[in-house]
Amino acid sequence: MGVMGNLLQSEFRKTITTGLWWGLLIPTVLLAFGWALGAGFVGKGFVDLASNADVEQLSDLLGVTPDQWKVSLFGIARSINIATIFPMIFGGLAISNEINRRTITTTFLTAPSRVSALTAKMLVYILWGAIYGLVIVLSVALGVSLSSPSSLLPDFEGWLALGIAGIVASILMTMFGVGVGALMTSVVGTTVVLLLYMLLIENGLQLVLASQGVDKIIGFLPNGSVNGLTGSVAVDLFLKSAGVVPSELEQVLRVVAGSMGAMDWWLSGLIFLSWTAIVFVGGWAATARKDIT
Amino acid sequence: MHDGSGRIVVQNLTKQFGPVTAVQNLSFTVEPGSVTGFLGPNGAGKTTTLRMLLGLVTPTAGFATINGSPFGRLGQPGRVVGAVLEAQGFHPKRTARNHLRVYASAVGVPDGRADQVLQLVGLGAAGDRKVGGYSLGMKQRLALATALLGDPQVLVLDEPANGLDPEGIAWLRSFLQSFARSGRTVLISSHLLAEVEQTVDQVVIISRGQTMYYGPLDHLRKSQQSRVIVQPSDVNGLVTALRAEGVTSIEQLPDGRIAIAGVTSKHVADTALKAGVSVYGIQEEQIDLERLFFQLTSGQYAAPGYYVQQQVPPQQGGWA
Ligand SMILES: Nc1ncnc2c1ncn2[C@@H]1O[C@H](COP(=O)(O)OP(=O)(O)O)[C@@H](O)[C@H]1O
Ligand SMILES: [Mg+2]
Repeated sequence: MGVMGNLLQSEFRKTITTGLWWGLLIPTVLLAFGWALGAGFVGKGFVDLASNADVEQLSDLLGVTPDQWKVSLFGIARSINIATIFPMIFGGLAISNEINRRTITTTFLTAPSRVSALTAKMLVYILWGAIYGLVIVLSVALGVSLSSPSSLLPDFEGWLALGIAGIVASILMTMFGVGVGALMTSVVGTTVVLLLYMLLIENGLQLVLASQGVDKIIGFLPNGSVNGLTGSVAVDLFLKSAGVVPSELEQVLRVVAGSMGAMDWWLSGLIFLSWTAIVFVGGWAATARKDIT
Repeated sequence: MHDGSGRIVVQNLTKQFGPVTAVQNLSFTVEPGSVTGFLGPNGAGKTTTLRMLLGLVTPTAGFATINGSPFGRLGQPGRVVGAVLEAQGFHPKRTARNHLRVYASAVGVPDGRADQVLQLVGLGAAGDRKVGGYSLGMKQRLALATALLGDPQVLVLDEPANGLDPEGIAWLRSFLQSFARSGRTVLISSHLLAEVEQTVDQVVIISRGQTMYYGPLDHLRKSQQSRVIVQPSDVNGLVTALRAEGVTSIEQLPDGRIAIAGVTSKHVADTALKAGVSVYGIQEEQIDLERLFFQLTSGQYAAPGYYVQQQVPPQQGGWA
């Protein structure tokens, strides 16, 4: 095994020799599963309502066919988005924990260079991002399948697209966390900042932007763009199978999918990739030059 | 990548932390086959120097090499140099064995090596306990085990005796000596000379980031002066008489006696007799190394290789 292989094994062992990976994986599964289960019920309720005789008249009038709408797609996207909070925290602790526990000293003393140590860490956390992403997608699939009739569920291609989007989102969220953790270097600070920003601050900001009629900006924010990645895949899949949907409804659908103001899925992905690259490169540069005293 | 010599070279090393000059123009060499003590009071710059040597802190000026290479160009540093820098570099939830396996992978040695070094430092029975439950002394041993994973040629230890029990200190002492005798290099820092006196062959003594003495410990020992401790009936009378004879290295001890350096006891007794001062007790005494160390590092002297006798601080004596 070459030097990089050694370092990869070392970094991977670091992650599995403490309880953090499963300590965060359990709530990840519960949240993904629970949210998807709930979203499935809500979606089913909506379709039941829309298919009820009175409303059906209205639907027919509008020329739409809500009973064919695969509304579970939105629940799936939202469940994936919320659950990726955990891999982000997992990534956030990657470097901040080492600095905090002072194990970074030995890590740098046993690697040929800081760049090689950090490269190995990055690759191992990409793997963990993918593992978390896969677990999230599977948990969501299980949850939504239990509460939604199969007619509302995506087909195989749909699952594949959402699954890939979910795993990519999870990897990017993990890397985003790694970068923020490396920049902040404090375990508590990193966790608080990541959670506050992703759960509260940006959502507040999104509401303000939406009320000012500049909701396009939301799609450029970190949370807005990563939500847009999965959300827009869901919207695209929905539109493909929904039959007739008035075009004014598209933005509404994005709101339902939890990705207000989002661009196309690939553009959203690129925007969040840029955010991730900015914090990651910043955190990397800071760690690579830092005096370890 | 490196010349395999086992030599440590520190050349004109300087480190500035903002307004604080932690290390100033420090130079010394450590040869293989010997244990070198790196001594200085708290805050003298020992840790900063060792961390610059190990590539953890970037020097403001100067450089340091191990085996002729800066740390960053050693290739597989874990195979060349092992370092015990702090007893706190552990994840409390990780077992000692797992900690060692993590770094065994990084260094590129088989997992069996982790068990070997655990045995070597006497932690064999505690290997599967989480490090969070370890005592400070056990953590020091684990830090040493980590340093030894790659069977390095050079060992650098920063105050490794902190938290060790007397048995642990004795063990460390003999371990380091046999390590050096096998032709390898040991650099060990301490703020107490007494702690390493029996272990080291060479000393580098620093104070406020600067070298105060650099050379064999034996030379330092030989430069020790004896002093005469006397209990006179009239302290002021004897001091005045001695001063009149040009003796200036006089110090009042806390117990009321006075200590005079650079003279014989006969000289002091004769002077006392001439001055009409009675002598209640007199003895000759070697200044111990610790005292010498204290004098070297109290910040007043900068001449390497010898020391200057401390003068009586005027405000302390009962005379002026
Ligand atoms: N990261 C740092 N930032 C600012 N000052 C520091 C830092 N590390 C050490 N110092 C200062 O540098 C000086 C030398 O410290 P250190 O090398 O730890 O000394 P020693 O190990 O001999 O006790 C001290 O004045 C200390 O306060
Ligand atoms: Mg120190």
